[in-house]
Amino acid sequence: MTTAETFLYLSPELTLLLVAALVFVLDLVWRRDPDRAHRWLPWVAMGGLAVALIITVALMARNPSAHIATMMVIDPMSLFFVAIAIVGAMLVILSALDYIPARTPYVSEFYALVVVAVLAIAIIVSANDLILIYLGMEFLSITSYILVGFLKRNRGSVEGALKYFLYGAAASAVMLYGMSFLYGATGATDLEAIARVFSGGLTGDLALMGFPAIALLMVGFGFKASLVPFHQWAPDAYEGAPTPVTAFLATASKAAGFAIIARVLLVGLPMFQEKEWVPILMGLSILTMTLGNLVAIQQRDMKRLLAYSSIAQAGYILIGLVAIGRDVAFGGLSGLLVYLFAYLFTNIGAFVVVIAVENATGATDLPAYAGLIRRSPLLASMLLLFLLSLAGIPPTGGFLGKFLVFGAAIRAHFLTLAIIAIINSVIAAFYYLNVVRYMFFVQPPDGGRKAIAVTPAIRVALWVCAAMTLLIGVCAQPFVTWAAHSASLLAAVW
Amino acid sequence: MSEIPFSLTWLIPLPPLLAFALIVLFTNPDKKLSARVAIFGVAVSWVLGWWIVLSSVVIPHFGEHAFRLAVHWLPAASSVLTVGVIVDPVTAGMLFMVPFVCLMIFIYSVGYMTFPGHLPQSLNVDGLDPRYSRFFAYISLFAFGMLGLVIAENLLMLFIFWEVMGLCSYLLIGFWFEKPSAYKAGLKAFITTRVGDTIMLAGMVLLYAQSGSLAFADIFSPGNLERLATTTVNVPLFGPTPWATVLAIMIFFGAIGKSAQFPLHVWLPDAMEGPTPVSALIHAATMVSAGVYLMIRMFPLVQAVEHGPALTFIAFIGAFTALFAASIAVAQNDIKRVLAYSTISQLGYMFAALGIGAYVAAVFHLLVHSFFKSLLFLGAGSVIHAMEHGHHATAEHGDAQEGSFDPNDMRNMGGLFRKMPITALTFIAGGLALSGFPIVTAGFWSKDEILADAWINGHSIVFWTLAFAAFLTAFYTGRQIFLVFFGTPRTSAAHHVGESVRSMTYPLIVLAIFAVVGGWVGIPEGFPGLGHILNNPFHHFIASQAEALGIEAAVLPFNPAPVSISILAALGGLALAWTVYGVQPVESRDAPDPLERPLGGLYRVLQNKYYIDEFYAATVIRFTIWLSHLFSRVDRDWIIDPLVNWVGRSGRRLATGLRRLVDEPIIDGLVNGVGSATNASGAFLRLIQTGRVQNYLVVMLLTALMLLALYTTPGS
Repeated sequence: MTTAETFLYLSPELTLLLVAALVFVLDLVWRRDPDRAHRWLPWVAMGGLAVALIITVALMARNPSAHIATMMVIDPMSLFFVAIAIVGAMLVILSALDYIPARTPYVSEFYALVVVAVLAIAIIVSANDLILIYLGMEFLSITSYILVGFLKRNRGSVEGALKYFLYGAAASAVMLYGMSFLYGATGATDLEAIARVFSGGLTGDLALMGFPAIALLMVGFGFKASLVPFHQWAPDAYEGAPTPVTAFLATASKAAGFAIIARVLLVGLPMFQEKEWVPILMGLSILTMTLGNLVAIQQRDMKRLLAYSSIAQAGYILIGLVAIGRDVAFGGLSGLLVYLFAYLFTNIGAFVVVIAVENATGATDLPAYAGLIRRSPLLASMLLLFLLSLAGIPPTGGFLGKFLVFGAAIRAHFLTLAIIAIINSVIAAFYYLNVVRYMFFVQPPDGGRKAIAVTPAIRVALWVCAAMTLLIGVCAQPFVTWAAHSASLLAAVW
Repeated sequence: MSEIPFSLTWLIPLPPLLAFALIVLFTNPDKKLSARVAIFGVAVSWVLGWWIVLSSVVIPHFGEHAFRLAVHWLPAASSVLTVGVIVDPVTAGMLFMVPFVCLMIFIYSVGYMTFPGHLPQSLNVDGLDPRYSRFFAYISLFAFGMLGLVIAENLLMLFIFWEVMGLCSYLLIGFWFEKPSAYKAGLKAFITTRVGDTIMLAGMVLLYAQSGSLAFADIFSPGNLERLATTTVNVPLFGPTPWATVLAIMIFFGAIGKSAQFPLHVWLPDAMEGPTPVSALIHAATMVSAGVYLMIRMFPLVQAVEHGPALTFIAFIGAFTALFAASIAVAQNDIKRVLAYSTISQLGYMFAALGIGAYVAAVFHLLVHSFFKSLLFLGAGSVIHAMEHGHHATAEHGDAQEGSFDPNDMRNMGGLFRKMPITALTFIAGGLALSGFPIVTAGFWSKDEILADAWINGHSIVFWTLAFAAFLTAFYTGRQIFLVFFGTPRTSAAHHVGESVRSMTYPLIVLAIFAVVGGWVGIPEGFPGLGHILNNPFHHFIASQAEALGIEAAVLPFNPAPVSISILAALGGLALAWTVYGVQPVESRDAPDPLERPLGGLYRVLQNKYYIDEFYAATVIRFTIWLSHLFSRVDRDWIIDPLVNWVGRSGRRLATGLRRLVDEPIIDGLVNGVGSATNASGAFLRLIQTGRVQNYLVVMLLTALMLLALYTTPGS
């Protein structure tokens, strides 16, 4: 590959890097004029993300499969996840426009850090080498720790960040241990080279290395995707973090975790599918959705409820990897992509409502949502839509995602898994609809006379999320085709 | 052909849906505005709908190039589920009727939904129903369902909209849920139709399994129909039966439920508990005829086996219901119940027509009936409304009658013609159309076509059943008209009635015009004198579709015999009603019905609707209740509760171990029912989330170690 081509394929990452730097620099330049910085820097970040998104989409059209050294692969799948991260970050910035300045004087850094986090995700999702995977994970983690603890005068925020950090450090160490197993067994860190060694025949020590390596790797990946039992940092960090950061962690960052699980297992360790990683993933999936849902029922705080809900959702998403079949259009992998894409808009949308309510009332507990339909019909109806989508009710994107991954499970003969998932969906509907009950049927303490104001930025974010949530469910076919296409190259390698 | 209006078809159901959302979310505090939003929504659909109808009738042989637009929705195992719209002559006919009738009824509701009589007057603030906005939201949602149903391109979409309507029907029948009879009627309707819908859904699943698609175009492809007609399945008791027959009959059960055919007809008379515009809209003009529409749509499947048992079955159910319901209507005293049984009977006519292969006649009667039956219901609503006001007026004057007053009871009425002439004249127009009054009314032409078809094609049993039912129809309609509008007022309430407001009478006038002229588009070409003025455009329009689908729809030769019999039945029935109720009007509301003596015990049986409700209560319902008691025993005493208790006890033990971390309410919550068991396990699991990061790390490392241990354990 020529240098020019290398630069072309790296241009989304380079753009993100430049944008982040630009925001930091402009913040310094405008140091004497903080109002100006606060007003313009989010839009600089938004503009930069938009440019990166356009480049990403343009690259998608080239349908590439480009290796950059042995370190990175730019293919439709990695671009799919880059696009998810960028869109997620843009929505998060929109929703943070009023939230962050109201709580801390350090505003510009926030936008820059969000862009940096997107850059980290962009690196992880295209990483094709254990070293770069590890570095990317650390990069994303460190950025995330700072974002979670961004409100440094807020105890919850700092506590969440510290727990996140301690947990993340330990998880990284375990993951690194697993990587060392792989390197020790194969002498390679490049995923494709590892696969080549294993495909030479699983004899002797080689056969023994698979399971422990996968188990240890899953600790690190599971931490990023917040799979049970590596989820425990999540409720505390989600609750303490500034809500826009929570939205980012629960969607874009989680998606990166799934991207890396899919790539490492499908590209590097396909030999271990049947006996090793499918059982592990299935167990994790069942644990994750069941525990996430059962605990979510108990929550009385919207942020914590959504935290557990997003843990449970990770369990459903994981089914896509368990039930990865050879039929691309209706396979688990494309189901997983559609699920993540729909979940991005649905979940961010739900968090945007939380942000709007928090901006107005300062509260995130369920009683703050009592009679929301009277105080803000817009917020209540939007949240209703997002909750229905999370519960998987048609015609929303959430329904499509569940339909595809559950369908893939049934087609791949994982009937028990599918049944457990369906039972879990029923349990989940209970606590989602409980929120609806609060919004529509519970009398607010003050009689609901006080309307909740919704700022234009939040309005835009809400409408985008709602429109996409509905669009994915109603016009399903283009999204399914896109996901199947994105999954196809990876599936072909595998 | 010009694509423009047709490619907009998918927009038709959306304005009412939007209106529903707007009313529910935003405009509901303002009742008048909500009504306007609803009317505007359905008016947009109406304009769009008629634009499409007008564009389609000018296309010659429209049925052969019907418009179909479908996009892929979901990948299913071996095929793709589509969403899409279809416009063919039958759809066009429905699009002519549905949005227009909806619009008329919406407008009528503005005046009708005043403060209901069963609520304490102290709650009356603005003279309007307290749930006025909600009413308009529900009927908008209903209009969405019905419009979506008629343009649906596949059976799955049709079923979704079918269920949307079922939900609206339930909500609207029980709209005045303060009345126990109303919410019971809502439940009854919902549960009874569920019986049919379940069989229909099973039929759909089997149909999908057999044909690999639910799109009408795929199901009705000649190859698929041929296969369904020739491959057989072993049905218990009946032996090998072609799939087409089995599927057609299963799907027909959905129609039996929705269109209230025997034996699932019991819900419709009770559904009259809903506000009268609902009875007109849902339980006369549109939703109940959706069952007929479904069978019209599925007709290629029904007749895939020529002269097969599916056709016979449908003809039998239809003809039987037509006569059965008409005979019950003779002995009812509730003005709306007479009309309800009449609706059941007329829907039976349509099914009988389909069963004997009179495809075009069934479509024709479906459309015509919707116009005159909604007119009759709205007229009845106008009368009831006036009677309620008359009752209030008398109550204020202090000369209220003893006992409870039923404004629906025809025995309380009499002599209303002079008090409310517009209602009376329009009601009589509708009534004459229902009885098939010769030549002028629409009902004559549509009914005559069915009878002629039966006669000419030699279905003599169906013919005589329907002819006798036509006679009874004319008789009970005449009875109703004479009891309500002629003679002298039998109560002081009837003395004090006045004409209804204009928002109610104008829709009556418009519908009355359609009830008369609507039939002229379908005058048989062979009819002496009149046949060649218009050349039966309706028949040619629908027949083009029938031919495209391979359905026999030739123009029938004119035969004077069935026409004479039909005229005789109509006039004979009306004349008999006049001799019994017109010549010597019933004088007082307590006087026995003049039919009671000559009919004797039969009258009692008819009045009690052949005791079908009692029969169900003694058998099906009793059995169900017994079964549910049994299950509740299983649940409470034998299996589930002990299990839950066991879970609870284990939870309690665990919890005592962790007493420092557990609070009493959680443990107490552990014992009651499955719901709280789920809840409780959540509470227990929450304990793991201690908030101490040290514990988290221990859990993580233990998990990793456990996984490794699992691996090293021999035999894993």
